[in-house]
Amino acid sequence: MAIDIAAATVEQILTNQKGLIAIGAGLAVGLTGLGSAIAEKDIGSAAVGAFTEKEELFGKGLIMTVIPETIVIFGFVIAIMLIL
Amino acid sequence: MLKPKQMSKVLLTGHKDVLEPTIETLHDLHALHIEEYVEEDYFHIGTPLSGADEDSKKLLKLRSIASFLGIKKPYPKPINARQLSSELEGKLETLGGVVSGKLGRKSQIEADLKDVQTGMHEVEAFSGIPVNFDLCGGYETLHVFAGTVRKGADVQAGLKRITEEYQFFTGNTGVFILAVPVKHRDQVTELLAEYEFGEVKIPAISGTPDDLISELKNRQDSLTKDLESLSSEIDSVKAEYADFILASEELLSIETQKKEAPLVFATSEHTFVIDGWIPDDEFETVRSRVEEATGNRVYATIVEEPVDEANIPIEYDNPKIVKPMEAVMNLYARPRYHEIDPTTFVFIAFPLFYGLILGDIGYGLILLAISLYGRSKLHGEGWNSLFTVLIYCNIVTLFFGILYGEFLGFPLAGLHGHPGLIPGWDTISLFEGLGGEHITYPIHRTHLVTTLLVLTLLIGVIHINIGLIAGFRNVLVKHGMKAAILEKIAWIVLQVGIFLLLFGMMGFVPSMVPGAVVFALAVIMLVAGEGGTAIMEIPSILSNVLSYSRLLAVGLSSIGIATAVNIMSGMMFDSGGLFIVVAAIIFILGHALNTALSIIAPGLHALRLQYVEFFTKFYEGGGRIYNPFGYNRIYTEE
Repeated sequence: MAIDIAAATVEQILTNQKGLIAIGAGLAVGLTGLGSAIAEKDIGSAAVGAFTEKEELFGKGLIMTVIPETIVIFGFVIAIMLIL
Repeated sequence: MLKPKQMSKVLLTGHKDVLEPTIETLHDLHALHIEEYVEEDYFHIGTPLSGADEDSKKLLKLRSIASFLGIKKPYPKPINARQLSSELEGKLETLGGVVSGKLGRKSQIEADLKDVQTGMHEVEAFSGIPVNFDLCGGYETLHVFAGTVRKGADVQAGLKRITEEYQFFTGNTGVFILAVPVKHRDQVTELLAEYEFGEVKIPAISGTPDDLISELKNRQDSLTKDLESLSSEIDSVKAEYADFILASEELLSIETQKKEAPLVFATSEHTFVIDGWIPDDEFETVRSRVEEATGNRVYATIVEEPVDEANIPIEYDNPKIVKPMEAVMNLYARPRYHEIDPTTFVFIAFPLFYGLILGDIGYGLILLAISLYGRSKLHGEGWNSLFTVLIYCNIVTLFFGILYGEFLGFPLAGLHGHPGLIPGWDTISLFEGLGGEHITYPIHRTHLVTTLLVLTLLIGVIHINIGLIAGFRNVLVKHGMKAAILEKIAWIVLQVGIFLLLFGMMGFVPSMVPGAVVFALAVIMLVAGEGGTAIMEIPSILSNVLSYSRLLAVGLSSIGIATAVNIMSGMMFDSGGLFIVVAAIIFILGHALNTALSIIAPGLHALRLQYVEFFTKFYEGGGRIYNPFGYNRIYTEE
């Protein structure tokens, strides 16, 4: 009986890898999100400092700030590829 | 449309006698961007016209009055300038008198109030002590201590060990007054020091603390009342004179601007020379109007000499519908003179990307209503452009909302047996997409991820290549055909190479050799055009294209938030009873949050795709602002 349950559980794990995939996808988005956030934090504060001094720098500061956003987009692409 | 306005460098010369009518005419025409004259040997900068001094003094006075009254800028009906200028002097005098009296009274009351508050602060420490402050000093044989000691210390017990001759009073705050004979002063000081004595200054006024406190309170009340009545008087002055102040501020600004204009002209003893820029199509008007006003005594001419591109002021030349997008351009940088002005591209791509990302009928309608309302309420060029851009964006959002069939995160049409918001409307499967997905109407973004991902990347390829073609044109004008091909076309060739390689891998093309050859050719072109560092930049084309996947990603995250809100409030709603109220609160707050995010997230991402991915392919920017001599009247009319 005990062996039966064990076998069923293994089978369940094999057929339901969805959970692991979801964890992987979550990690891909979450960690890249953190990476973007850390990078944007530094750039953002510097950009705010720059454009309080010189307002014309707003556009350039904005661009600099959103550049690391690409990291999380890549994470998102990986997550999608994992899920599909 | 794709180029800034064409400018001509012009010179206007004439006798100083006609300087005034010349300035008058130029100011009215509002077309000449004046170049400031830098003093050299022969010519000097001019002197202001007569009356400039007085006008700026009046202006200063008016502005200080306006700041005292705290006048904000509404949009009243414009006042006739001629009539205003005739009555300005007298009215300003009266207003100055009224305001300076009130200003004096206000600062007097405020100073008094401050004194009362300081006094109150001093006296309050002694509240409850039944001793007149008069009696606390001026003795030869007595010494008076006033202050506090550590909590719980029994001063009187200690005192009794030194002497029985003392007077001790304490009040509500723990502060005490203690009088002892002078001969015991040192001993008592020591004793108090043990109890951590902190001295409190005895106020130099007469009266008992409690009497003084109530007296000061009365005074404070009456002063506060005075201040209130004064500020209501000030408000009535403000209401009466606001229009006048705004209008005359404008009038005087215009006058001083005109009268001080000679400061940037070159003048000799009898002549003046004005140097500046005029849009090509306005030169003839300016010349004929100036000549007419001065009886042909001013000579205007176009200077035909090569000028540095960086010196030419830039005025956009866009149709009215595209104009609001110039604000988006200005955030980045104005185009240079010989560059393509990308405002029109942004006009198409920015709202398109915004709509693609948001694509929800509910949010589209809410934001459209907000921006329509905002545009009618908030004036000023900046607000107007911002709201107009938002309106464009949300019209496109509505279009995509209908295409996606989404309303506040709810699907409108049913899918796979799950009913949609509109009963009886079921999704129709049209044809097969990529990765086994079915293209349907309405498009369910969450069920079509692979297809839409590839589609967004294709949009990226198209957008980037439009940028590269624009870049080809810019480099062609500036550095010639060879540089243009090596620097810009090489990137297009590179993409062809990458696609051929991909097709080779997928088996659409029998071999990978053609792809490799084209790719190598592109790399050689790039190295020839931009040097060895170009190799480092090659992966950037990939990351640029992949970056367009945000068109899908950001949209999905917005759907995610909306769905989460809907599910949460749905669960609450099903519980019934009081939970229905909670459900409503969650629904409203959640969607309010997502609406705010729906301006920021799609806006920023659509903007970033313009600025980072698109502009870097061709756009330099950094042109000077065309700032013609003249004034945009708001509060006055001629």
